[in-house]
Amino acid sequence: MTQNTSTIRKKVTQYVLQETFAEKNKIQNDTLIFKEGYFDSMGFIMLITFLEEEFGIKTIDTDLIEENFESINSITGFIDRKTQN
Amino acid sequence: MPPRKPFSKDIILLNNVEAVVNEIVQKLRQDVLHKLKRLGAIVGISGGIDSSVCLALAAKAFGPNKVLGVMMPEKDSSPDSERLAQKLADKFGVKAIREDITSALSGYRCYKRRDEAVKRIFPEYDPETYKMKIGIKKTGLYSNLPSVFHLIIIDKDGKQQEKLLPAKEYLQIVAASNFKQRSRMSILYYHAETLYYAVIGTPNKHEHEQGFFVKYGDGVADLMPIGNLLKTQVYQLAEYLCIPREIIEKTPTTDTYSAEQTQEEFFFQLPFDLMDRYWYGFENGYSPKEVAKVMDETEERVKALFNNFERKIRTTEYLRMMPIRDYYGI
Repeated sequence: MTQNTSTIRKKVTQYVLQETFAEKNKIQNDTLIFKEGYFDSMGFIMLITFLEEEFGIKTIDTDLIEENFESINSITGFIDRKTQN
Repeated sequence: MPPRKPFSKDIILLNNVEAVVNEIVQKLRQDVLHKLKRLGAIVGISGGIDSSVCLALAAKAFGPNKVLGVMMPEKDSSPDSERLAQKLADKFGVKAIREDITSALSGYRCYKRRDEAVKRIFPEYDPETYKMKIGIKKTGLYSNLPSVFHLIIIDKDGKQQEKLLPAKEYLQIVAASNFKQRSRMSILYYHAETLYYAVIGTPNKHEHEQGFFVKYGDGVADLMPIGNLLKTQVYQLAEYLCIPREIIEKTPTTDTYSAEQTQEEFFFQLPFDLMDRYWYGFENGYSPKEVAKVMDETEERVKALFNNFERKIRTTEYLRMMPIRDYYGI
């Protein structure tokens, strides 16, 4: 069953905050989580694994672009598109 | 202070290689004999350019009789590594011994732990008939996203399959493979202690600064004489020290996984001559605009490369840290 956008955003936000130990108000929906150094290489791999397990999607090479992962908003949009396809 | 030289492609070249070699050799003698108070030096030799230059420097500093070269192959090593290492030792008149670490690694279940993780990704993988390696995608280099790793398996007919590595399997494969570097470190210190010698580490500047080493593995040594040299400069020293041509011309590999893999493919993502120049520009505060003009690149891409360097330094800081012990006390 596909999840609605706000549920996806909530789950992604929860994961990002939990993994970065960041205060809630530090990371907004449009904060650039990689550019601003909240996530490193290992964090990226773990994020991909989380998304695959949580939302049942499969990430392929061409998905690995900034537009899909740079912020909570872009990750939410990416999951939305993937689950609808 | 003299004005800073404008950035150029040749800015990384050592102008007087002989003087640099003499300075390193003198400091090696001073450090080993007087600071560390040891009688000679141990060098792990792999047939690669870095360890070859280190062995030649050690032989020059202490004399060949006060240097021991140690070859430490295991079942995934290329046979070429050992042949070249022996050729190097012969050339410099240094005694070289062979310590096969395969059974030690089997004792640690290094291969078994690694292969279990590979099989979870590719159930058909059989270490007897397949080779494996981890690769990195070049696209990460100019992006704000960090690189991700791919697992590659190759069957006996050369057919290659590739999949994105999930976190759990990536960590298990790397952790298991790191037994190799840590076992080598143990062997080197065994011989160093029996002879009362110091261990010479072979990382170059990129490996140290960008974190291309194993903590408490090849990142451990008593001295690292080329630790402040760019790869191009290591090659300049190699030419001056008359390292065998075959070693100079060989592409640097990781020699860690069963399938052959270049260091560029696994970690650096750029050929060394380019990497050296960009790194020099980054480290010495040249602007992306100035570097881009000389390197015939766009300013945006050089900026992205500099960000990539910064990210590598930041994310590998843990590897260079000593144990933290300032918890209590005055």
